[in-house]
Amino acid sequence: MLRKLLKHEFRATGRVMLPMYLILLVTALGSNLAGRGMLDGRSDVLRILGVLIVTAFGLTIFGVLLLSFVLMIQRFYKNLLQDEGYLMFTLPVSVHQHIWSKLIVSVVWFAATILAIIAASLIVAYQGGFLREFFDILRWFFEGLQKLEISEALNGSVYLVEFAVLAFLAMAVFSLQFYAALAAGHSRANHKMVWSVVWFFGIQFALQFLGSLLFITLDRLHIPFPFHLEIQSVAVAIHVGLLLAIGAVILYGAIFYAVTTFFLKKHLNLE
Amino acid sequence: MPVLECKGLTKRFGGTTALDEVSLTIEPGRIVGLLGPNGSGKTTLIKLANGLLTPDGGYIAVCGSAPGRESHSLVSYLPERTAIPTWMTARQLLDFYGDFYQDFRREAAEEMLDHLGIQPRQAVKQMSKGTREKVQLIMVMSRAAKLYLLDEPIGGVDPATRDYILSTIIGNYNPEAAVVISTHLISDVEKVLDEVIFINQGQIILQSTVDDIREEKGMSVDALFREVFRC
Amino acid sequence: MQWQFSNDAPIYTQLIQQVKVGIVTGAFPPGERLPSVRDLATEAGVNPNTMQRALAELERDGLVYSQRTAGRFVTEDNTMINAAKRSLAERHVKTFLEAMLRLGFRKEEIIALIEQELGEEGTDHAGA
Repeated sequence: MLRKLLKHEFRATGRVMLPMYLILLVTALGSNLAGRGMLDGRSDVLRILGVLIVTAFGLTIFGVLLLSFVLMIQRFYKNLLQDEGYLMFTLPVSVHQHIWSKLIVSVVWFAATILAIIAASLIVAYQGGFLREFFDILRWFFEGLQKLEISEALNGSVYLVEFAVLAFLAMAVFSLQFYAALAAGHSRANHKMVWSVVWFFGIQFALQFLGSLLFITLDRLHIPFPFHLEIQSVAVAIHVGLLLAIGAVILYGAIFYAVTTFFLKKHLNLE
Repeated sequence: MPVLECKGLTKRFGGTTALDEVSLTIEPGRIVGLLGPNGSGKTTLIKLANGLLTPDGGYIAVCGSAPGRESHSLVSYLPERTAIPTWMTARQLLDFYGDFYQDFRREAAEEMLDHLGIQPRQAVKQMSKGTREKVQLIMVMSRAAKLYLLDEPIGGVDPATRDYILSTIIGNYNPEAAVVISTHLISDVEKVLDEVIFINQGQIILQSTVDDIREEKGMSVDALFREVFRC
Repeated sequence: MQWQFSNDAPIYTQLIQQVKVGIVTGAFPPGERLPSVRDLATEAGVNPNTMQRALAELERDGLVYSQRTAGRFVTEDNTMINAAKRSLAERHVKTFLEAMLRLGFRKEEIIALIEQELGEEGTDHAGA
């Protein structure tokens, strides 16, 4: 059933995101053209047009970022907590599947948006010698790789994986904190949106407070660092740091997830 | 086995008691009217049967099991409000119901949509309010469910649409399923019902068949309702 | 067929009456198959169980009969249909008389009135 939920969720969001990516592509191509003589050309009309196109590209980047954020919130709110919730919560589907479908789709669009912006920027920068320069950089990069020690290469790849995991988790938890606040706020009989905002800042405050308290206590306890820092100390420290960050993000995510499920399961209160 | 059963079912919202120790049984093959004035607890009862609310006391079961994921595949629910996503086209809506409900009879739904002159590519957004309600009802009645819970299916629509909705309900009658229609527009549904349940201030005050009421009291259910709920 | 219902009697008894009228007037001709319960119920806008009950009652009276797979048929027995026609007529006369008596008319006055009405109807037809 999760697969079917995902299918319809992508259908619902794709019709908004894909045209936006298309606009991004078009303005990027336009900006590329504008860079080829329009901006520093002699004709005023062309110059103004060039500036407008580049401005449109900038605004589109902002727009596509904003849209993936707004869509993340709007899908959860409108599809589950407004009128459509009557349909969604009476499907033969569990609350967990609902949350996961929303979460996966948001994270996919976040990642797609970042990739689309990178791709669009490359399009804007593309010029005659660009590809050669680009491949030069790549060659330089791979030559560098060959000179690496095995341990360095290994560490590097693991950093990359750790960082990617952290990035994905961070996007998921970013979404989950909004889900938790919306689900909690909408369990109230009245002023659901106001309560959602209150919940949002309430959760932030509580977690900051508890986090600080934890650090202070740990500091007071003078627990010795459980690693023997020797030759590879810096490399290990980065791993430890990334893994701790991943752990912390998972912990936060678990709390937000638990809050969301609790309210959707036990205190659903559709208008 | 009854299709819907409640025992001592109680639901409170803050200080007010929306349902107060409600006990009732609905058997398969029956079309039942859940009748009561606004705010009497009709919608609360239907929401509890759909698992959209959790009871504060007592017990409610659909085909023997508590409302939840399993019961959702047995219950076809028409909410008070338009719950179908308005961005969807008629065809996407058919896909949606077909994907999630194994008992969805797509051909029946397509035939009914066609009969109304609704194109598969038409978006719900482009339809009038009355058409949206009809489309939603078509989706709900096109399922071969065990229990149909229709919350105010004929409120706020014109008389012609009302007739269409009622004949759709009769036309899809299945002797193995039960239909519960909540409404306060009694004279319109009276002929369609086997049984009626009168509910007021969260309590069941009468459960009887329509013809028993007419035979014993010599008056229509509508007239009896007006007498019982006289202000 | 026109289906109309009053508020003071059970729906199934009214259905029995109306199907009888249909048979007597030829809307459901002798020996013909009746529409299915569901179709009749949809047409009349009534509960299928109630329609089923009415048809079962008619079957008990012998005005309709069912064949296991083919459905329900109107009887071909004309004496039976005529008897039904007569009983319907008697019912109408009875309610008419009750109303007239309540209004304070006596037997002779009622007959005179009927004859007068019938006479007028006759001239109406002649005139038309």
